[in-house]
Amino acid sequence: MTQLKYLILVSRQGKIRLKKWYTAMSAGEKAKIVKNLTPTILARKPKMCNIIEYSDHKVVYKRYASLFFIVGVTPDVDNELLTLEVIHRFVETMDTYFGNVCELDIIFNFNKVYDILNEMVMCDGSIAESNKKEVLHHVTVMDTMESNDNLERVLS
Amino acid sequence: MTSLYAPGTEDIRQRLRPFGFFFEKSLKDLIKGIRSHNETPEKLDQFFKQVLSECREEVNSPDLNSKTNAVLKLTYLEMYGFDMAWCNFHILEVMSSNKLQQKRVGYLGASQSFYKDSDILMLATNLLKKDLKYDGNNDVVKVGIALSGLSTIITPSLARDIADDLFTMLNSTRPYIRKKAITALFKVFLQYPEALRDNFDKFVSKLDDDDISVVSAAVSVICELSKKNPQPFIQLSPLLYEILVSIDNNWIIIRLLKLFTNLSQVEPKLRAKLLPKILELMDSTVATSVIYESVNCIVKGNMLEEDDFETAMTCLERLHTFCDSQDPNLRYISCILFYKIGKINTDFISRFDQLIIRLLSDVDVSIRSKAIELVEGIVNEDNLKPVIQTLMKQFVDEDVVILQAGNIVYERSKRIPIIIPENYKIKMVKVIISICSADNYSSVNDFEWYNAVIIDLAMLCQDISDKTLGFKIGEQLRNLMIKVPSMREVTITNIIKLISNESINRQLPTILRECIWCLGEFSTFVENGDDLIKVMIGNTSYYSHSVQEVLILALLKIFSNWCNNAQEDKGIEVELMLKELVKFFENLSFSSTFEVQERSVEVLEFLKLSLEALEEDSDGLPMLLSEVLPSFFNVYELAPIARGTQSKLEIDEDIDLETPFLTKEEYDELLDDQKSDSMSDLISDISMAEQAEQADPEYIDYSDTSYEEKEKLNDHDNPFEIERKKERMTNPYYLDEEDEGNAQKSKDLLGLSEDDSSKGKPETIRLNRPDNDLKSLSLSTVGNGKEKKSKKKKKKKRVQVLSDQPVVEITSKKKDVSPKPHGNEISTKYSKIDKIDLKMRSKLESFDFSNFGTSSIQVKESQQGGDLKEDDDLELNRLEAKLNAQINKNDFNDAEEVIVIKKKKKGKKPKSKIKQKSKQENSPESNELLRDRNQNGLETS
Repeated sequence: MTQLKYLILVSRQGKIRLKKWYTAMSAGEKAKIVKNLTPTILARKPKMCNIIEYSDHKVVYKRYASLFFIVGVTPDVDNELLTLEVIHRFVETMDTYFGNVCELDIIFNFNKVYDILNEMVMCDGSIAESNKKEVLHHVTVMDTMESNDNLERVLS
Repeated sequence: MTSLYAPGTEDIRQRLRPFGFFFEKSLKDLIKGIRSHNETPEKLDQFFKQVLSECREEVNSPDLNSKTNAVLKLTYLEMYGFDMAWCNFHILEVMSSNKLQQKRVGYLGASQSFYKDSDILMLATNLLKKDLKYDGNNDVVKVGIALSGLSTIITPSLARDIADDLFTMLNSTRPYIRKKAITALFKVFLQYPEALRDNFDKFVSKLDDDDISVVSAAVSVICELSKKNPQPFIQLSPLLYEILVSIDNNWIIIRLLKLFTNLSQVEPKLRAKLLPKILELMDSTVATSVIYESVNCIVKGNMLEEDDFETAMTCLERLHTFCDSQDPNLRYISCILFYKIGKINTDFISRFDQLIIRLLSDVDVSIRSKAIELVEGIVNEDNLKPVIQTLMKQFVDEDVVILQAGNIVYERSKRIPIIIPENYKIKMVKVIISICSADNYSSVNDFEWYNAVIIDLAMLCQDISDKTLGFKIGEQLRNLMIKVPSMREVTITNIIKLISNESINRQLPTILRECIWCLGEFSTFVENGDDLIKVMIGNTSYYSHSVQEVLILALLKIFSNWCNNAQEDKGIEVELMLKELVKFFENLSFSSTFEVQERSVEVLEFLKLSLEALEEDSDGLPMLLSEVLPSFFNVYELAPIARGTQSKLEIDEDIDLETPFLTKEEYDELLDDQKSDSMSDLISDISMAEQAEQADPEYIDYSDTSYEEKEKLNDHDNPFEIERKKERMTNPYYLDEEDEGNAQKSKDLLGLSEDDSSKGKPETIRLNRPDNDLKSLSLSTVGNGKEKKSKKKKKKKRVQVLSDQPVVEITSKKKDVSPKPHGNEISTKYSKIDKIDLKMRSKLESFDFSNFGTSSIQVKESQQGGDLKEDDDLELNRLEAKLNAQINKNDFNDAEEVIVIKKKKKGKKPKSKIKQKSKQENSPESNELLRDRNQNGLETS
């Protein structure tokens, strides 16, 4: 339903906090996208729309506090509004998981953020699990199992 | 020395690790380190270097814990742009760990870094197979991780191997596993479509699953697959419809709508059932994204018929409310949908002109730029002026966004200027020109105003880097000159203003060519041509070679009109001007460009001759200036002519291109005669001899072919040049085949014309031709009633129509191909017709077969699948290439085909007289010139 190409989290200073590529791209292409998009999006004013066109695809972005969530989507296939919903759902989920999420949470727990993202968006960015509880449930299950692992290790 | 009982350092580390004591840098340390070394880039670089080398060491350590830690850190560093592909094998080790925590890290690293690394993928395959073995409850999460990781790592062989495992998982008692298995199957199907064919029912049964997230996943997967190949899923329509009616989850509804969009594109019958339901959905829901998707589904699923005003209006009214909303995103997407609906039928959107004009001044430039695309659909005679005024204002005024105090905004300032990017400005100029000139200027009722607009545009375009705009504006000026006779005086005044404006000369030189041509062609409107000539000569430094080509003849025309329109005798002024021109052309005759040199030498010789005559003959102007010179240009009134008309004319077999004008004996005789003449005549004689040589048919033939060759070479250089050259290539000598049959008719025309009938056939044809054009032009334009204006369309238009043309052809070809399972035969068949065609087609086909084993559907899929737009582009390129190839062949049989295409294009363009003048075509004028000179030579001698 949404075919994401990539998701990048950029701070207001232009620092990358997270990036996930759903389509195969060479390192050069990736770097180019990041380099071109970041200043364009950071320069956009609050009253402007959250959809821009970039090279052959569209980019949907949304700002939450000091973080920009940037998502590349396939034009004509994707529902831009829904993409914004997906971003919002992602933020909500993180918010519940971390409890009032902030940029530092994402920085220090970037692997957890990836886990949440992987539970939400699957298979080359094409499918999203829209149920927040579902996502959180599985992430926490995995977390408990991890700590069980740790416990076992201590006991052994 | 270590004691036997005291443990080694490594040992201690090992023991302490489970309690959270790490001696390596943890991820936290790394992040903190990056933050603390932030002051200078050098410092940061150094830190990164250090960390990376640490990671390199750690990743090699035998201990899996520190390995995992290193991989995690590397994954983090990857975000900073440090490639981690070198440690792929270590990642694999971590992935194979039994500890869930480590496995997770490993899979994370893999999904970030495994990419087209075939070695590693092969190894990963085995690992995945092991991880996917689903036995016992504890493994749920492990399998979950593996299934998630699968999407990154899948290969065709892996897909084949695990497909069966995945299908068993579909029956798992746990919804989580079922869901993950469905998503993993999506990737499998893409790589190994046989799996879907063989287990279609099994997979589809998941649409009935009790668990909503499983249904959701199944719908999503089918939606994605239908994007590639909708055919097999059409049979599911009743089931899917059932879900759409019963479900109230907006996420799934949107997915279903997307799915139906894909299905409806290939199965039009769905429309009858779906459309009412979708409209109902639009009414009942409050979710904007569902409404958006509904409209999208109607538009893209081909459910909106061209004459279905009711549905269109329902959609558009919805969008209208979106446009009024505060949310810029809604305004933006509705603009896009407006455009799509307008594409189906422009009448749908024409009543929303007020809205669109308002959107043109939206605070967000990206919305403006979408709205501007709509403008073409809404302009008419009444609103053209306000629309253009709105646009022009944006060039000049600086808009300011005023932020309301209540808004949550981060900027302190309340007024934010809107910066208008250059590409938007370029778009505006192009749109202004195209909407005004659309449909042969039918919306413009005040040409004085349009004149002002064009001049303003010229002024504004100086600052824009896209210099091709100059061509467009110049073209508009030329069109105005030719098509709107009543406005010529105003237009020419404006042109003179432009020509004498230094900054235009400097900043927008591309406009000059057309301007100068107009000045030459309509120099009768200029009274003091001498001043004009002086201005133009003074500005020569700005003129490029292509401008100089035009300039030479323009100067001659202006001069001709000026010296003949004089009320009082101005013999001395004429002489001075002549001298100045001679001096000027002498300079140009050493130009590095062939064309310029050629033309200037031609003109120069004539002027020298005139100067001599003037000096000899003190009372009044010599005949050379008073009669011969005007006769070059004023034979008949210039009329706009359809583009490509010339190429429709074919060579007349009767025309003798072989026989020289002078036989060898005559020629020698002439030379002998001249030798006995006085010295003063000698110069002109030599030049005449040169001329004779040039007029020699063989010579002309040679230059003609070489010219064509040159053209082929230059084909890609400059689109404008090519068009001009094409025109030039097909010279007026070429008779229409019918003309032979219509000989009687041409004679009549000849008789009617005031022209000297002794001038022979070529002249007839030229007289005849404008009439032919009229006939060949579409009747609607003739019936337009606005005589002059009726005839021509713009170059830009032509390009647009060209892009439409291929689409028809392609669809018909597609239909031919699709029923056959294997396209090889067909493609060879096509190859006989067109090689380029084969190339593109085979690429598509081979691509498909590699991906999908099942036959007939797949062929279709190749055509439906992927990005439709891309498909079109591909076809467009192919057609363009084909067209070029045909043009290049310059074969008349082929040329005929080209003409057909051109005719449909209706691309029209006024034919400029200059082209006839250019000597490449053994044009009648140049012969005429020669003959005149001949006479003159005799007279003077």
